[in-house]
Amino acid sequence: MLNYIWAGLIIISISFALGHDLHDEWNNTHENGLAIQIPFTQLDDSTLIELHYANTTISAHWKNSQHLQLIIPATSTSHKNKTFTHRLLSHDKELLADVTHIDPDNQSLTIVLPEIHWSRMQAISDAAFDMAKFAVTLAIALAGIMALWLGLMRIAEKSGMIFFFVKAIQPLLHWLFPEIPKNHPALGSISLNLAANVLGLGNAATPLGIKAMQQLQSINQKKEQASNSMCMFLALNTSSVQLLPPVTLIAIMGTQVSELIIPIILATSASTLAAVITAKSYARLNR
Amino acid sequence: MHHYTALIIPLLILFIVSHGLYKKLAVYEEFVDGAKEGFTTAVRIIPYLVAILFAIAMFRASGAMESLINLIEPVFVFFGIPPETLPMAIIRPMTGSGSVAVLADLIETHGDDSLIVKIAATMFGSTETTFYVLAVYFGSINIKKTGYALQAGLIADLVGFIAAVSVCYWYFS
Repeated sequence: MLNYIWAGLIIISISFALGHDLHDEWNNTHENGLAIQIPFTQLDDSTLIELHYANTTISAHWKNSQHLQLIIPATSTSHKNKTFTHRLLSHDKELLADVTHIDPDNQSLTIVLPEIHWSRMQAISDAAFDMAKFAVTLAIALAGIMALWLGLMRIAEKSGMIFFFVKAIQPLLHWLFPEIPKNHPALGSISLNLAANVLGLGNAATPLGIKAMQQLQSINQKKEQASNSMCMFLALNTSSVQLLPPVTLIAIMGTQVSELIIPIILATSASTLAAVITAKSYARLNR
Repeated sequence: MHHYTALIIPLLILFIVSHGLYKKLAVYEEFVDGAKEGFTTAVRIIPYLVAILFAIAMFRASGAMESLINLIEPVFVFFGIPPETLPMAIIRPMTGSGSVAVLADLIETHGDDSLIVKIAATMFGSTETTFYVLAVYFGSINIKKTGYALQAGLIADLVGFIAAVSVCYWYFS
């Protein structure tokens, strides 16, 4: 399933971008090589100039006061003008336009913009590289938080604290994860992970969940393949059982979040229930 | 109620450490021993994160995501669900930061008191970033055959979204 979704995302992205770019090439959407006539206003006492193009005003300045080329900085692209925005995105800082003709009487000039080709294809390869870099940043950030929680976990495990916690919810755990032997350490990590989820502590839940997965792997028969317990545990985590809203939501919504607590509890209970039922049914089918 | 969450973590840490001391554990050494695993695990998940994150980033950058949203929009309109919440439903399982951006954008456009924002925020709060959780959890133990975990996660997401919409309509009317 993941294979198909993954390959599907890649194939769809590239064919979509290719189709889009071919369409642009065919229709010359970017006005490549065309001389564009634009009315302008020369601002006083400076090299600054304003271009009035398709209902938007674009600021620019003359290059070295020589009236031959215009520099259009990227900051002037707050509007949604395709001709300029796409070019500025691919030239990232500024755009150099050749001025072929100036008509001072009518306050208009004629410019030729640098050519732009395959903008979407460029965008997807940029996005791919950026995300590949970001993945490492994310993992390294996770390393610190992981270390903190795994350290605390070790203390709680050795002091016997986790044992009491597991005992309290043993019947539920046994029903959800019938394949895990009684008193196995995985039960401890699972219950702590679920507790962190319930309290909306995403940062704490992830390391505990990873720890639980590693302990589940130690009793997994086929090491390459996810066991029933793992699938159930993952489904529980993706549906996020929680009583308190996640910290990120509090950060974005502020105090507004308090009136969402009840809707969130109801919606998350529904999704968790669906996760449990689905995982249980699949487990039964696979047996 | 929500501001008490700030207390949970410090108190939990205090409780764990003092309980360890009470049991006469070498708490510092135990902590370091446990913490050692953090780094190796984080490094191990990198290939899985790259695989998932880059595919989703390409999907967004190509504009295919926007088209998908346009394609599904009539279905939302048909069921009387505000179509503005659709981006959240599609992006939420894929990227955490992306869905934060969507929510922030909705608040900016519609105000945080609107039903649209309430539905989107409930969607955001009631499910997790399925693909990310999958990459991290299974990546940490080198599981490549994910079994039915993804299906179960996505079905849970779908049920969560439907529940978010219906609960909000009922609760805020």
